[in-house]
Order: sequence, then structure tokens, then C-alpha cells
Amino acid sequence: MDNVILTTRAITKEFPGVKALDSVDFDLRSGEVHILVGENGAGKSTLSKVILGAYIPEGGEIYLGDEKVSFKSTRDALQRGIAAVYQEFTLIPYLNVAQNIFFNREPRNKYGLIDHKKMERDAKKLLESLNCDYINVKLPTKFLSVAEQQMVEIAKALSFNPRIMVFDEPTATLSEREVESLFRRIKKLKESGIGIIYVSHRMQEFKHIGDRITVLRDGKKIATVNIDEVNDMELVNMMVGRDISQVYHRSENHFTGEVLRTEKLSDKKGRVKEVDITLNKGEIVGIAGLVGAGRTELARLIFGIDPIGGGKLFIKGKEIKDNSPVKIVKEGVGMVCEDRKRMGLALNHSVMWNTVAVSLKSFFPKLLISHKKIVEIVTDYVKQLRVATPDIYRACKNLSGGNQQKVVLAKWLSANTDIMIFDEPTRGIDVGAKMEIYAMMDKLATEGKSILMISSELPEVIGMSDRIYIMNNGRIVGECKRGELSADQIGALMLGVGGDSCAS
Amino acid sequence: MKKYMETLRRSQSFYSYIGLALVFIIASVIVKEFLTFDNIITVLRQGSILLILSTGLTAVILTGNMDLSVGASSGLVGCICAQLLRAGLPIPLVFLIGLLAGALVGVFNGFLVGIVKLPSFVATYGTNWVVAGLSIIIMHGDIIYGLPKGFTWFGTGYVGPIPFIIIFALVIVIIAYILLQKTTLGRDIYAYGSNKDAALFSAVPIKKTLFSAFIMSGLTAAIAGMLMTARLNAADATMGDTYGLQTVAAVVVGGTSMLGGEGGITGTVIGAMLLTIIVNVMNLLGISSFAQPMVVGFVIVVMVLFDSYSRRKQNTVVRRKQPQTN
Repeated sequence: MDNVILTTRAITKEFPGVKALDSVDFDLRSGEVHILVGENGAGKSTLSKVILGAYIPEGGEIYLGDEKVSFKSTRDALQRGIAAVYQEFTLIPYLNVAQNIFFNREPRNKYGLIDHKKMERDAKKLLESLNCDYINVKLPTKFLSVAEQQMVEIAKALSFNPRIMVFDEPTATLSEREVESLFRRIKKLKESGIGIIYVSHRMQEFKHIGDRITVLRDGKKIATVNIDEVNDMELVNMMVGRDISQVYHRSENHFTGEVLRTEKLSDKKGRVKEVDITLNKGEIVGIAGLVGAGRTELARLIFGIDPIGGGKLFIKGKEIKDNSPVKIVKEGVGMVCEDRKRMGLALNHSVMWNTVAVSLKSFFPKLLISHKKIVEIVTDYVKQLRVATPDIYRACKNLSGGNQQKVVLAKWLSANTDIMIFDEPTRGIDVGAKMEIYAMMDKLATEGKSILMISSELPEVIGMSDRIYIMNNGRIVGECKRGELSADQIGALMLGVGGDSCAS
Repeated sequence: MKKYMETLRRSQSFYSYIGLALVFIIASVIVKEFLTFDNIITVLRQGSILLILSTGLTAVILTGNMDLSVGASSGLVGCICAQLLRAGLPIPLVFLIGLLAGALVGVFNGFLVGIVKLPSFVATYGTNWVVAGLSIIIMHGDIIYGLPKGFTWFGTGYVGPIPFIIIFALVIVIIAYILLQKTTLGRDIYAYGSNKDAALFSAVPIKKTLFSAFIMSGLTAAIAGMLMTARLNAADATMGDTYGLQTVAAVVVGGTSMLGGEGGITGTVIGAMLLTIIVNVMNLLGISSFAQPMVVGFVIVVMVLFDSYSRRKQNTVVRRKQPQTN
């Protein structure tokens, strides 16, 4: 292939205890969007960071065209025309758009001072080339929307005149309309001959944007294929590495009686609009939707973090009026949050104190607590959930993501929770731990606990749920039973198209 | 034993223990009067007010907040009590009103920080001025002295050979220790300080927790203020002022993190004692009182330096352990 602009051969990158990349070959052609896909921990971000010069690999070679290169820093890579748009923005909120684009390499006038006029002119030109001239280059970036900030990031990357651009999960924080406009811009970049590496795990996006796709798993390359030659299930099997039905194992189960119901439930900020859902005893109900569709907001509303703006919430037949976490937890509801490090755990506290964070009051209704009894209780849960920790006094920050998640689970199980809200329960944990979490969810359901699961990973929602609600723009736009709709149909509903196939 | 040593080494107050041990040993060697019964009693008596103030402040700092009003609050309560005693109110009632006044200051701080959501540093500094101003108004710029014997006994009386004030401080320390370590409220305070969001999602009543911490601080300030007045047999609007930041220093030197969630009463006892011993030793050595503040300042800086160094070291170890995959 003569238009190959970047090749990697046998790239190996190790972190203490983990082989993040194991002899990975990869190539990128000019004018293509090459998707890098894999589960969390598969090595997709690591590979892109090696290409960007952010990580120095232990082994292997990188070629730009025919020339062998070795980058010592991202600056080296930038100078050779490789620019990145990161998932977390690198903009400084108090600087304006132009200042951000030309940060640390501001044009100077003849007195050696910053030439603001030229800087703003150039920034404007760059934004125009992205059809984003509506963005005011003099505005501090903190006033911009997430999508606009991303455009500024892209403009910043373009200001280096790159031949290769790396997008790391660019749609993670965008609404669907913004995603569409991002895709239009990526297509335009592609037409101008730039080679694009697109890191993502959102299956529903690949067909819209990708040309080729490379699947990584546990640091190894599984395959590189043309996008129109594979279907979703094949991709999932490649990513997960085993038959999907084994990963998402569900036992036979009967649902008895309703435990949670919402009637036209809305929040006060208009992000959740007149939502009607029900959850039965022993049922796993999935809520699918893009980021920004209002799923997390719905969970926060039910759990009492945000106040109810309208409609009704019933838990076990009882209407909950002034919702607050303290009240909701008393009704037996628990929530496993999206961001366990920020909202799930006190990271510098021990496994022990985190496990009893909710249940302490129920174990010790009188004033004093008994250390000895706490140790007994916690040791029991650590064994039950097989939390890998040397002892229960270990701070949670020293645990792996999967084990942290188990501590969060232990926290709720010890509080006798029978309705669990899972918000992205397997984000950032490896496949083995994921399967344990799935098995746990299945077991909980068979024990008669009810689960409301929010997830961006469609295979997970489809694989685990007895029933699925599809959310879009704050509303429930579809509902289906297990196996009723295909991934494509659900994906279309999530994106807000094809509403007629909805079964509700 | 090995396990015990490890717990000790890992505890946030590790450097405070070492600091206290070092100062204690050095003091015993270079000043022969230091390790006498009389002097140890003197040290404990001098340190007891600071100790009481610091225990309540520890609760606030554990939540990741600050209370800069403790010095002024203790002054205010002292002044209120002195005025009431002069007016002839019975001593138990005066004690009760004093405690109530301290609790009210705590509620006010809790309101500013928890409901109005001001940064505690600024809010409690404001309270500090309000409270100091109130004291001046109450005292009309006067100093009151000559309080009833029944009252001054709490500051000057003895139980056997031991001054009552030391026993009182000890009791407060034990109560605070139990509250923070052995009750759900204590765990909530730690959880709040370590990660407020996680506490909210764990159904910790976060407002109640914050108010409780500030009220604890207000109560200990009130007790300290009353004991101070009893001991001096006098009250003056500015008498608590010097304690304000000294209290903060005692807590922080004791290894309680200003970010919240780490530390505790044991460390605070050490911190308060350490600061008191240093002043005591300098007095015994006849070091000029002009030079003393400088030495105390250095000790505080060095202790906090050790503490933050040890924390940084711990954190780097952790970072190396976690591979950065994706």
C-alpha cells in the first residue's frame, strides 16, 4: 500500500505487572479513519499514546512512511505532524480561544511582545476551516460548551499542520447532535488527506465514521478488518475473546411484584422528562442511551441526589415525596456510581470503613460501635465477594478497579439493599473482573434483588437485561424485552432515529 | 509487636510521635528540671486549654474545613460567663449558658459553611471578627476580676496532687476520642472529609455531620473559655485571641490533614503537648520570651514539613503500584 503514512512493528509497552502492549503491528493510510477498539484495559489508549510520543515503548519500531522514527516526547511527535485530540480537554479555562490554540508558542511582534491581533486572526482562520467561525476567539474557553471546546481542541491540533490526528474517545462527552457535527468535521479532515486514528469502544459509531478497524485485547492485536466486512457480533466476540453468551450469563428467573415505579418523573433542570419506568423484584432492567441522554440524571433523581421536579416516584408501593439519599437508602435502594473514585469510595480510607459506610448505623443503632464486630462483618463480605486485598485495613486507592467496584458492592450488600442502581458498573475494569460483576448481578437477581442498570456499552445492556428502556434527550423513547430488538435497532433509537420500531 | 509497629508507622501521626519523643528526650537530657513531677504537672496544666480547644477543632479539620473562630469564641464565652457571674447567676446555670453560647457559634459557622456554602476559611474568619466584636460590646472595654470561689476552683483547684483542669482536659479528650472513633457520627465525619461526594452517595447525612463538627468545635471553645476565665479569675475581651491560630497549629502538627479525612485526636494531643513542652523548655532554659515565638514557628514548619514529606512518599509508592493502562 503506497499511501501508508504510519506503521508500527511489534510495539511492546510494559507497566509494572502488566504487558499493556504485546508486539502490536498497526498501520495508517492517509485519508482514512482507522478505528482502534477494545475493552477497557485492552491497550488502545496505550497504543495511541506510544504513537503520540507520550509513552516510550520498550520494544518495536515506528515508521513514518519509510523513515524509522523514535519519539522521546509528544513534542517530537507534534513536530513530525502527529497531533492529538484527547478525551480530557487540555484547554486552560481562563484563557481565551486564541490564547489556548497558540498556548506557549504565541506569535511575537517586533518588540518581542505577544501579537494578539495576529493570534486572533490565525485562530479565526483555523476555526473557519472547521466551519466553526461562530466561536468567538476572544472568549475564555470556560464559557464554551463541551462541543465547542472540542472544536477548539481540534483547531489547536490543526494549527500544527498535522498529517496524522489521533482522537481519543472524542464522543464520550457529546450529545448526539454534537456527535453528528463532529463526524462531519472528521470526514472533512479525512478528505484533506489527514490520516485519523480514532479510539473508541462505541460500536454504534463505527459504521458512521470508520474505514478500517483494529481490535485489541489484553495488549495484543486480534485483527485489522475493513469496516464493512464485519458485523457487530463478530466485533464483540473479537473484543471479548469468547462467546458473548458465556460472558453475559443469565439464569432462569421469575419476576414477582413491582418494587419501583415512576410516573411522569421529571427533574428540575429539564434533563429528565416525564419518565415512566417500572422495575420488578428479581429483574434486571437496562437503560440504554448516549451520554447526555439523561440516564445518569434519572438515576440521581431516583436516588435522591437531585430534587424531583414533577411526577411521582414509588418505591415498594410507597410514594416518596421529598427525596434524599438518606430517605431512599432507608427504603432499601443502593447506587453504584458511574465514577467510583469520585462518588463511590473514600479512596484513602480502608476497605473496612468503606464497606460499612452505609450499614454502620444499622449494625450499631446505639451510640457506640464495636471494632471487633465490624472486622467480622467486613471479613465476611470480603470473602463472599472475593475482594483481592491483603487485609481489610488496606486503603481502597491501592486496589484495582475491579476490586474497588467489589468494595462498593459490599457497601450496599452489607446495608441489606434490595434495589440496586448500577451506573456504568464495569467502566474501567478488566474483563475478568467484569465477568465476576456480571455473575454477581445475575446472582443478586436470582436472590430476588432488583437491578436498574445504566450502561453505554450496548453489548452489556443487551446481554444482561431482562428488559431495556431506551433513553434519548431525557425521555424514554423505547422499551423492549430480552432479545426483542437487535443491537442495531437499539442503537438507532439511542441516536434518535427509527422511532417506529419501538415496542412501547 | 511487628504488626503494632506497622500500624504506628503507617499512622498519619507517625512524625508527631517521633517529634514528641525527640523533644521529650532532648528536654530531659539538657534540662534537669524538666523531668520532675512538678514540672510535668506544670506542662500539662499549661497545655490543657490548648488541648481542649484543639480537640473540637480536630473534628472540623477532619471534615476538610477550618474553624478560625475558636480563639475568639472562647474569649466571648469567658466574657459572657464573667458578666453573668457578676450579675449573681448560679454557677451551674452560667456553665449551661456558656456551653449554649459556644454551640450557637458552632451552629452559625455550620450555617455559613453548610447552607450558605461559603469557604470555611473565610466564613469562620468572619465569625472570628463578629464574635470578637461581641465580646468587646459585652465588656464595654472593661476587665472583670474577682469571680466567685466556686467558679475559680475549676481553673485553680486540685484533686489530690493533680490540678482539676488537667483532669477536665483529659475527660474532654476521651469524650472526643470516643465520639470520633467509636460512633457512627465520627465515621461520618471521616467519610465527609475524605470524600464528600462519596459520603453523599453513601447516605451520610452530610449537613448534620458538618453542623455536628462545628458544634463540637464551638462547645470545646466554650469549655476552654470558661476554664480560662476561672483560672485567670478574670475576663477580658481579647483573652482568647492568642489561641486562635495556635490551636490550628496544634492540630496540624499532630498530623491531621487539612484536606480532611485523615488524622485524629491522638495526634492532636501530641501536637498540643509538643507545642507546650517547647515553650516550657525554653522557659526553663531562660531563653528570652522575645526569641520564643521564632523557635515555635520553626518547630511548626519542620513538623509540617516532615508530615507532608511522608504523605508525598506514601503517594508516590501508590502511584508506582498502579500501572497506567489506558
